[in-house]
Amino acid sequence: MNNFMVTVLGIVVVFIVWMVGVYNRLIGLIEAIKNNQRQIDIQLDRRFKVFQSLIETVKQYMDYEKTTLKDVVALRNQAQAAQASGDEKARIAAENGISKIASGLSVVFEQYPDLKAGQNVLQLQEEIVNTENKLTYSKQAYNDSVERYNAKKKSFFESMIVGLFQSTLNQNFVYWSLTDEQIKSNENYTVKF
Amino acid sequence: MNMDTLSNYTTSTGDWREKLRQNERRTRGVIFLFILLYLIVGLLVDVFLLMGRYPQLSISQSLLLLVTFQVPPYGTLLMIGIAAVSLLITYSMYDRLMLLGTDYHEITPETAATLQEKQLYNVVEEMKVAAGLQYIPKVYVIEANYMNAFASGYSEKSAMLAITRGLIEKLDRAELQAVMAHELSHIRHHDIKLTLTVVVLSNLILMVLDMLFYSMLYKRERRDNNALFAVIMILRYVLPLLTVIFALFLSRTREFMADSGAVELMRDNEPMARALLKIQEDHVTHAEEYSREYGQTAHEQVRHEAYLFDPSGIDPTKSLSNLFSTHPDISARLKALGFNQK
Repeated sequence: MNNFMVTVLGIVVVFIVWMVGVYNRLIGLIEAIKNNQRQIDIQLDRRFKVFQSLIETVKQYMDYEKTTLKDVVALRNQAQAAQASGDEKARIAAENGISKIASGLSVVFEQYPDLKAGQNVLQLQEEIVNTENKLTYSKQAYNDSVERYNAKKKSFFESMIVGLFQSTLNQNFVYWSLTDEQIKSNENYTVKF
Repeated sequence: MNMDTLSNYTTSTGDWREKLRQNERRTRGVIFLFILLYLIVGLLVDVFLLMGRYPQLSISQSLLLLVTFQVPPYGTLLMIGIAAVSLLITYSMYDRLMLLGTDYHEITPETAATLQEKQLYNVVEEMKVAAGLQYIPKVYVIEANYMNAFASGYSEKSAMLAITRGLIEKLDRAELQAVMAHELSHIRHHDIKLTLTVVVLSNLILMVLDMLFYSMLYKRERRDNNALFAVIMILRYVLPLLTVIFALFLSRTREFMADSGAVELMRDNEPMARALLKIQEDHVTHAEEYSREYGQTAHEQVRHEAYLFDPSGIDPTKSLSNLFSTHPDISARLKALGFNQK
């Protein structure tokens, strides 16, 4: 009789230990999903900030180009007008203005020999690819954690524990996905050059 | 050897989930066998001690007494204690050993000197996001021409990835990402911890067995324990071989798992396959140069098992049969990724 009691007690203890294990594991999985959900937000926020600063940089660069170009055009007009009217002094002053701008630009270019086009575009490209990839992978990580949780929650034996603690353990997370219309429009999308 | 490209392979998607499960099962099997071996040797120590005290007992009698706990197995318990302490010490001491002898420097977003280095760090960050890892491992570049990479550690403090300059130069972004995902998977799967455990346990097994053997040998007055002596003798020859084969099997299993883990993170099996082929080919074409370079690097053997690609394959004198290699051969790895040779 005594032996029987010990055996029963042993089985009960093992069951409780297992139950606690399953409970804690499921709580861990749920919290991982919540964290991964926030990770998508973090990456969206990051994308916004990165692209904002990229646009600022490009704009500044373009603004500089624009004002330079404007200056050059204005000086060229001045020079031509002066030449037409025979005002040599004004013409020379205008031409000097242009060469000053040009030499200023070439100094800038000399400081950064492999400047502009090539390297800059590549850096920009890398930054964009990196940002987009991080966002995509954070969505993937979220879906993976939902998969792990759902598989655990719905599997046999574990589902019995979930039944006991419905309110805390049985949560419904939706996989990140596109709507049907979006899928349809994206499917039909092709690149046209 | 003619040039091997992916066009020589039939492509399929490859089931990384199944591969991960299968290799996880194998790992459990090997670990179980290791613990079993350890306990068997522990029991042997107990039998030896018991028969020393009561010479009239036979082996089977003493085994029965120990297994039914009529006599407490002090030797086994002591060995479990020793194993636990040695493992703890090994885990805590093991840090940065892996870069020994190489010319390396760390890459951070601030110190990335070129676009390539920046890209390397970005790729690691992306894979960290995909893996949902809580920390980012340190990233090191090793200044060497050969193409290889390895990972070490399992916690925020010790996790690191290292990659040679040659690899960064010769792989495109996706391939680089696949390699980093493979290495990150070693960290996620706690492979370093597993390898260390196996190394410590097998060394302890062999040490204890040697101690048993010599103490039997020099106890001349008890010649009647011939049966036990024979068992120890046989084990002393069989177990070293067995532990090595188990450890290598485990190492190959973990390589397959890291490959599948890379596919899991990227959801694309092609970059990993392309990278493996590229590295293999590069090692074949530059075999002589690389064996010299590997040879000139000190402490190369600490990294041998951790490498993405096993460089001993390029040296015909060192290449052994598959049973004794730490890495599965490339065609087996490609097959597991879903690429079958046409």
